Amino acid sequence: MRVVPDIDSTLSDWLAGAAAIQREVAAAIVGQERVIRLLTIAVFARGHVLLEGDVGVGKTTLLRALARAIGGAFERIDGTIDLMPADLVYHAHLTEDGRPRVDPGPLLRRGEDLSIFFFNEINRARPQVHSLLLRLMAERSVAAFNREYRFPYLQVFADRNRVEQEETFELPAAARDRFFMEIEVPMPDDEAVRRRLVFDTRFHDSDRLVAMVPDGLLDVAGLPAAAAAIQIGVRASEALETYTTALWGAVREPQRYGIVLDGVDMERLVMGGASPRGVSYLVRAARVRAWLEGRDMVLPEDLRDVFREVMAHRIFLDPVYERRRGPLVHALCRAAFDRVAAP
Amino acid sequence: MRTPAALVPALALILLVAAPAAAAAGVRSVTLAGPRPFGLFIGDAILLEADIVADPGFRVMTASLPRPGPVTYWLDLRSVAVEDGGVRDGAGHHRVRLEYQTFYAPLEPRALDIPSLTLTLNDGARSAEAVIPAWTFLTSPLRELRSGAGGDGGGPYLRPDVPPRPVDGTVGMLAAAGSGTALPLLLALNAWHRGWWPFRARARRPFMRALRVARLDLQMTGDAGAYRAALLAFHRAFDAAAGRRVLGDDVPVLLDAVPAFRPLRADIERFFEASRLAFFGADTAAAIDRLPPAALLALGRRLTAAEREAG
Repeated sequence: MRVVPDIDSTLSDWLAGAAAIQREVAAAIVGQERVIRLLTIAVFARGHVLLEGDVGVGKTTLLRALARAIGGAFERIDGTIDLMPADLVYHAHLTEDGRPRVDPGPLLRRGEDLSIFFFNEINRARPQVHSLLLRLMAERSVAAFNREYRFPYLQVFADRNRVEQEETFELPAAARDRFFMEIEVPMPDDEAVRRRLVFDTRFHDSDRLVAMVPDGLLDVAGLPAAAAAIQIGVRASEALETYTTALWGAVREPQRYGIVLDGVDMERLVMGGASPRGVSYLVRAARVRAWLEGRDMVLPEDLRDVFREVMAHRIFLDPVYERRRGPLVHALCRAAFDRVAAP
Repeated sequence: MRTPAALVPALALILLVAAPAAAAAGVRSVTLAGPRPFGLFIGDAILLEADIVADPGFRVMTASLPRPGPVTYWLDLRSVAVEDGGVRDGAGHHRVRLEYQTFYAPLEPRALDIPSLTLTLNDGARSAEAVIPAWTFLTSPLRELRSGAGGDGGGPYLRPDVPPRPVDGTVGMLAAAGSGTALPLLLALNAWHRGWWPFRARARRPFMRALRVARLDLQMTGDAGAYRAALLAFHRAFDAAAGRRVLGDDVPVLLDAVPAFRPLRADIERFFEASRLAFFGADTAAAIDRLPPAALLALGRRLTAAEREAG
């Protein structure tokens, strides 16, 4: 960690860097401005992200572009049913002279500078792999070759395939709770953007597309300190604390706040979830968003902007309602913001 | 009742033997008083009063009193009561009130007997018998039995109905009229209070109420707390106007919901900036600087005017 001489001036440099990242990545990946914005928030909040979306909307390209812009090392692995934890850490193979040899696997190959680790189709991997990943996410360290590897700059991005259900292992609640955000990567709405994506040859070669993004717009080594400075520098007032607590209550016990959803027994709807860790993540994300907006105070708007991505996957519904989870949780979050008074 | 009636002669026989000694020991005299013993008709009540004079200390035993109920097929005993008259002239006085009712329907004047009764008196150690003698009276039919010229229902016996007594209804009419006027008045008051039709417009005027609250707050103290309370009142009014919670970023949504506020856009944005400073920046002084209380009230008045225009 470097010594920060003057937090304010340094932070304004970082703010310029954050704006540059968003601009450059958005130039390469069109039609995903909101996702890029949320990823930037996650980067400056040092949180791990679970991406959800259809296949082929550009999740991998987006993450590669982001990793290139941030300037750290990038590694990826694809989840398969036979993937074992050791496959992440070690690479066992035969050398040219026919001897077996064990080299560092994808996780260790880039050393401790690894800044973005992308786990594709995480729900195809087995629970053993999930648990390794949980430890990696929680402690940013892994034991291998009889020593401990630390990854101070690491951020895990995972992608969940939600099309197929066969031969998949659904992430346990504890694992999902550890993700800072769960971001939905949508198909671009704008028809002009869709047309460009299909017909503009620029978007056909993802390697060239990623190469367009300037390398290393940020100083990865300084990110943890900058993230800490943002959390200290952005103020959350007492009124905001009250508001956040009320929102939390509204999501956990919607019936007490008079929230009514169509065709839903509100007494039964929410089984649990919305953990204290989740709410602390929410405030963290809101602080970063306030900072990105150039403010030194958190507003209810900041909470509202990141609420669904940070909180929705932490709310556990009654099994009866689990099948309609998406629209119900969405409606619940919106109703909470419609009911809880601010300030 | 038949069995006790059959027993009476037997008892009387026993009494005949014991009576002189017992009477000498306790009861000194029994006098019976009744109404006039003639001119009685079916259904008449007959009150007999027996005065028993006994030695001091004797009391009538309740168990020996007859129980109210039918005595014979034509005679009912309606009530029995014993009054202790106290001790006078060295003797205890007791009065037994017996109320009978006759149901005998005689075809011609006829003498009937109310049977005699024997009561037991006791002073704790000795007991004595007091015999209330039979009472004879003459009962007659109410009218001649051969029907007259008018037949069964006619004749001079059916009396005309008593005309109904007129009831004074002034008080009730006044009360009805009073509550009749009070009800619509109270209904109207309640409708006004709750903003029902035809006061619907009042419910849709949240800024009017907010302005009143804010004015009160700012006039009362005028400190930072009052300023924040006034801001809060307007926040709730904005929420009510838009039908949802309005945050600073939602001003365009608010203006879409209430187009009448469009000309006030700059002022409304200034309000939200001041509110952000006051509540989330925890800097009420800066907020007052941005939107002084006077300006806040002025904005409130313009919003009230706008909402009235909007209907």
